[in-house]
Amino acid sequence: MGSSCLAAAYKQMIVFMNRLNIVLFLCALWLPSSFVYGQSTAKGEHIEVALVAEYQQLTPGQTNWLGVLLTPETHWHTYWQNPGDSGEAPSVTWQASTELEFGDIQWPIPHQIPVAHLVNYGYEGQVLLMVPVDLAKGSELAQQVDIQVALSWLVCKEDCIPGWADLSITLPVANEREKSAAASLFTQTREQLPNKDSISAKFEVTDNYLTVAYQPPFQAQWSLLPLRSDVAQHNQKQQFVSEGGVNNQVIALSDYFIAGAQQLDFLLTDGTVGYYLSASLNDGQVAASHSVIILMLMAFIGGLILNIMPCVLPVLSFKALAIGHNEMTISQKLGYGLGVLVCFNLFASVIIVLKSSGEAIGWGFHMQEPAVIAFLAFLFVFIALILMDIAPAGARLAGFGQALVSGNSFSSQFFTGVLAVVVASPCTAPFMAAALGVALVSPAATTYLIFTALALGFALPLSLLFISSRFAKWLPKPGPWMNTFKQLLVFPMLATVAWLVWVYLGQTSAMAQLGLLMSLVGFALAIWLSRQFSGIYVYLALCLAIVLMGWSLLSSGTATSPMADKSDLAFSPQKLAQLRDSEQVVLVNMTADWCITCKVNEHVAFNTELVQAAFEQEQVHYLVGDWTNKNDTILSYLTQYQRSGVPLYVVYAGNHYEQVLPQILTPETVVEAINLAKKELHND
Amino acid sequence: MIKTKIIAIAVLLMTLMGSAFAAVKVDQAAPNFSLANTKGEQINLADYQGKYVILEWTNHLCPYVQKHYDSDNIPSMQRKYTADNIVWLSIISSAPGKQGHIDSATSDELTASRNAAPTQVLFDPEGEVGKLYGAKTTPHMYIIDPQGTLRYAGGIDSIKSAKIADIEKADNYVEQAMAALLSGKAVNNKLTPPYGCSVKYKS
Repeated sequence: MGSSCLAAAYKQMIVFMNRLNIVLFLCALWLPSSFVYGQSTAKGEHIEVALVAEYQQLTPGQTNWLGVLLTPETHWHTYWQNPGDSGEAPSVTWQASTELEFGDIQWPIPHQIPVAHLVNYGYEGQVLLMVPVDLAKGSELAQQVDIQVALSWLVCKEDCIPGWADLSITLPVANEREKSAAASLFTQTREQLPNKDSISAKFEVTDNYLTVAYQPPFQAQWSLLPLRSDVAQHNQKQQFVSEGGVNNQVIALSDYFIAGAQQLDFLLTDGTVGYYLSASLNDGQVAASHSVIILMLMAFIGGLILNIMPCVLPVLSFKALAIGHNEMTISQKLGYGLGVLVCFNLFASVIIVLKSSGEAIGWGFHMQEPAVIAFLAFLFVFIALILMDIAPAGARLAGFGQALVSGNSFSSQFFTGVLAVVVASPCTAPFMAAALGVALVSPAATTYLIFTALALGFALPLSLLFISSRFAKWLPKPGPWMNTFKQLLVFPMLATVAWLVWVYLGQTSAMAQLGLLMSLVGFALAIWLSRQFSGIYVYLALCLAIVLMGWSLLSSGTATSPMADKSDLAFSPQKLAQLRDSEQVVLVNMTADWCITCKVNEHVAFNTELVQAAFEQEQVHYLVGDWTNKNDTILSYLTQYQRSGVPLYVVYAGNHYEQVLPQILTPETVVEAINLAKKELHND
Repeated sequence: MIKTKIIAIAVLLMTLMGSAFAAVKVDQAAPNFSLANTKGEQINLADYQGKYVILEWTNHLCPYVQKHYDSDNIPSMQRKYTADNIVWLSIISSAPGKQGHIDSATSDELTASRNAAPTQVLFDPEGEVGKLYGAKTTPHMYIIDPQGTLRYAGGIDSIKSAKIADIEKADNYVEQAMAALLSGKAVNNKLTPPYGCSVKYKS
């Protein structure tokens, strides 16, 4: 009985508490009015506006939230910070009797509002524009604060009406705070705010489009609403392609976009959730320097290894034994290294001159050229023959300039360096050939860097010896092992030849490959013969070897007929010229791995069946230039079309017709362009 | 594959839409047009070759237009430039039944009552010329030089508001551009985002 009595009392209490709550709530509703200084609400045409606070007090040391509440009539709307094609965002100017710090408006996620063919961003119905407010240091002493806001807005249905109002409230300063009647509005509005996490992204500007690459938090129909009104054409549908978790979004550029922006800010939204997204300009500065450093490191190690090569080590040991008798000056110590450095860089210069003169006459050094592959195959066979002592090596050179190198003067040190490079050339060749290969397909600056790294590696051990003889014990002693090591090196050389011949097959035909193999065997035979004979026969044999090589190179040049390897050929100016001369339709695609727009186009246009089928047609060729690691060949091609970057798409019909395609492609544009080019071809 | 195709088609549509509304470009030839004036005569842009032409998109009921007319900002510019043998064309692209669509009599009345002095008031009820020029707001301003090249497109000034008090504080982009052009200098801000009410297009 006692317990039921208690339960009844409890129920009564609950009821009482609930009533109390309602009374408190009503009090809360009334309370602010008692503090009002001036007007906290105002009425405009088709809209009511109010200045509200989340709590009834301002609390020091905490963020206080004020808000401007806009309540337009049904079907009327107000605007987001970027109003879109027309309209105007509401603006607030704060003033307070005590120093307060007002933050920025926290804009809820807006809706797209179409007006004829234009689009605005804004809010239909009520919206609360929240602003964080902090009490400045030293203002805690104030008992109450008068806050005024000069508010201006534009409210539209289709027609628009601007309005202004000065609103004010007075709030006491207190450490304890109580929720105001409007508190629930703040809670609701927080759920409509964009996420606190912001997303970073990259953007590119091409033709009339903006492409933005970003990682979406999850898969949805995302739109990017720019925070500025002069970035995008708001009435255009945005499209994106997803690849590996990255969205590449294409946005039509505003007519009022001023180029040169380094950063663009957006709101990424699917209509219900939003994230601020900050995109920085994609300038494509990637990878290139990284790979040069790797190449330099490899060249440096290669240079170090050169020291223990059979042809080099004896010279160096001889030199190493000779030191320590008398003190050397700094210049003498460094003379050797300098000699090596000069020698290697001279060699690099020769390559660069050869390369550029070769290019001038239309013969490019590209791994895509079968003739270059064939040449490298001959080079490596020759190196293998040297290592097997079949070919004449630099033995005779060893005696050369003996006078120059004896002694410890700067010039003798310098020429020791030079001689070491020259004498060592048969053994250094394998490494030099690799460096040569890289140098032939690299820009001049890279060539010098690689050869300098090679030289530093080569010069380091002996230079260390000159500086301190303590390093001498690190030097391996010359001996029969050197010959064994030399013979061992034959096999990597032959393996390289096997690989080159395989590459050659991919570029030409099985017949051409057989021709190359036979020529290589004949070449080796001729070299061997030259060692067996004497007198004029030596020269005959060497001539035979050169003729075989020459024939092979020339025939591989012709072997790259347009018949071979039809699609997705790597671009070279020579290849393009060749195809145009032979009256073909060529589509050149200049791309790079870091280019967002290029990826979109590859996804949307090039990889479609429609375009692939077009490429399969007779007389149609597709060349791809990869600008991932920038190079001068492609740059000079781009500058021909007044471009400094990718993407660039050009369609040719023979030598008399060319058309630059837009930077944003559809399968239809590509196919149409190819068909048009084919027509041009047949008209003439 | 199907997804790719959908995206491809959407991109195509987007490209087509883009070209349909492709606005004119500053420093390129301004496209010719022909519209009826308040007397019912067809006026061609080409008629004014050899003169500077200022285009003003307008809608007398738009508060942003009212800001510049009630303050005499636009009428004074019209009087100044037309006195200087410069052509000022006020274009109304409001569709029938929409805000700002008026007949010739109302137009003449407005010109008189507002002390305005445009060379012509032209009617574009179909919105074709407005779309050709990519006119988005009222006001939206364009300047065409005597060779027929578009030299300025954008807002009338730098402060996006409907307050008359802001006119004094703002940079008047049209006046700046005209001053530069008339003294043979390059226009500094030749492309600015316009502000105001949306043009009340038919569609």
